Amino acid sequence: MLNIQTRQEGTASVVSIQGKVNFEVTAQLRDVIRETVATAQPKLLVINLEGVSFIDSSGLGLLVAARNSVDKSGGKLHLSCLPAPVKKTFDQTNLTNYFSIFATEQDALRGA
Amino acid sequence: MAKGVVLVVDDEAPIRDILSFYLKRAGYQVLTAGHGVEAIAEMARLKPDLIISDLRMPEMSGDELCKRVKSDPATQDVYFIILSALDGTASRIGSLSLGADDMIPKPFHAQEVLAKVDSTFRLIGMQKEIKRQNKELTAFQERVQEEMELAAALQMGLLPKLPGEGPGVRYTHCYLPAAGIGGDIYAVLPLPDGSTAMMIADVSGHGVTAALISAMVKTSFENQVRLGGEPLAWATGMNEDLCRSTLAEQFATAWLGRLDPATNRIRYVAAGHCAPLRIVRGSQGGLQRSEVLRGKGFMLGLDVQLPFMEHDAEFLPGDRLVLYTDGLVEVEREDRTMLEEAGLRRICAELPAGAEDAAAAIIAQTRSFNAPAPFVDDVTLVVLDRRG
Repeated sequence: MLNIQTRQEGTASVVSIQGKVNFEVTAQLRDVIRETVATAQPKLLVINLEGVSFIDSSGLGLLVAARNSVDKSGGKLHLSCLPAPVKKTFDQTNLTNYFSIFATEQDALRGA
Repeated sequence: MAKGVVLVVDDEAPIRDILSFYLKRAGYQVLTAGHGVEAIAEMARLKPDLIISDLRMPEMSGDELCKRVKSDPATQDVYFIILSALDGTASRIGSLSLGADDMIPKPFHAQEVLAKVDSTFRLIGMQKEIKRQNKELTAFQERVQEEMELAAALQMGLLPKLPGEGPGVRYTHCYLPAAGIGGDIYAVLPLPDGSTAMMIADVSGHGVTAALISAMVKTSFENQVRLGGEPLAWATGMNEDLCRSTLAEQFATAWLGRLDPATNRIRYVAAGHCAPLRIVRGSQGGLQRSEVLRGKGFMLGLDVQLPFMEHDAEFLPGDRLVLYTDGLVEVEREDRTMLEEAGLRRICAELPAGAEDAAAAIIAQTRSFNAPAPFVDDVTLVVLDRRG
C-alpha cells in the first residue's frame, strides 16, 4: 500500500510518497500525478521520495513518463530526498543523470 | 409461445380451475396436480419454472413437496410459492424456512396471485439472464486462459534450446515467469568470427504486454547483431527500436555482451540491468572467486537521445558467467531483507561443475533464502561456461 500526499507551494506542486513503489501500486501513483499535472498545471512538480523503501522498474518507468509529460507542458520535474536503496537503483540505471535530484524538498522547490 | 410453465398443486379442484383459468389467460402454460405425489409425476413430464402449492393435501403435503423440490439438484432452482390458509406469521416463517421462495395467504384474489406470478417471472427472467451471462463469462475466461497458455508456450519457444552450445561455450537457463507469461528474455548468438553475442533483458511490468515487448527486444537484438558492430552499437540501435515502438512507461533493462575468445575479453553495455557475475575458473566447480561486471547505463526505450557506455572485462577459458534478472535477488523477506547481489555472490562462491547443476544449485539456494514466498517477479538465470 502506498501513501501519497499532494500539496501546492505557490506555483509548484509537491507529491510525497511513502511505501514500496512496485507494479501493484503504479496505477494509483500514476493517477495522482496525472491529476496533479492536469488540475494544478504546476511550473514545477516536486516528487519527494523520502518515504520510499523500494522502487522497481515499473516505478522508474512511471517517473520517467512523468518527467516527459511535465516537459511537454513546459514545466519541470524535480525529485528530492532519495533514500539509499532508491539512490542505488537510480545509479544502476543511470537515472541519476536523467532527473534533477535534490537533497531536500526545500532545495527542490528552490531549484537550487 | 407461453410466458413460462406454472405447476398448480391443490387438492380442491375449484381452486386449481380458477388459477388455471387466470394463468392461461395471462399467457402461461399451466400444469395441475391434486397433491405432492401427482405434482412430482407432472414434474417428471415437464419441468415447471414455478410451483404454486397448497400446504394441506392428501398423499403428500405442500411442505414435503417443497422440501423434495428444493433438495433435488435437478429442481432446486424451480421457484416455489406456498398457498395456505394458515395466515399467521409463524406459519409464514415456517414455510419460508422449508425453502419456499414466497407465500400467498388464503383466501386470495386471483388477480393477486397473478400479480405475484408475473413479478416472480420477472425475477426468474433476471436470474436466467445472470446465469447466461455467467456462462458466457466462464467460457470467455476459459478462452483467455487457453490463449495465455499458448502464449506462454510460444514465449518458451523464444528461448534458446537446451543444452545451449556455442563456439567454445556451453550454457543453460532457468526461466520462471511470475504469471505464466513474463517480460524476461535472453539470447546467445554465435558470430561468424568465432565470438559470441549475449543479451539478457527484463521488460517493465508483467503479463502479455511485457511478453510482447520481450519478443520485440529479442528480434531487435538479433537484427542489431546481424548488422555487425559492437555492443555499444547494438544498445543504441535497440534503444531506437524500443523508443519508436513502445508506450510511455515501457522500458527494458538489458545487458548486452560480446565474448571474443581471441582476446579473452567481453565487451559489454549495461542498460540499467543487474550486473552479471564472472566466476573465475567457475566451470570446474568448487570454491572460486567471483567478479562483478559493473557498468552504469540507461534502460532501453527511455529516450532516443540517451548515450550508452561500453565496458570491457577479462573472461578466460574455464570461466563462468552468471546472467540474471532482478526477480532472482529482489524478493523482500519477512525481515525486510533481500538477497541482492552480495547474497548471490555468496551463493556463487561455491557451485558444482556443469552449467545445469550450477543453475539448479543457484535456484535452490535463492529459493530457500527467499522462503516461504520464493519468487514474486519474473526470474531468469543463465549460466554460461567457457570451455577450459
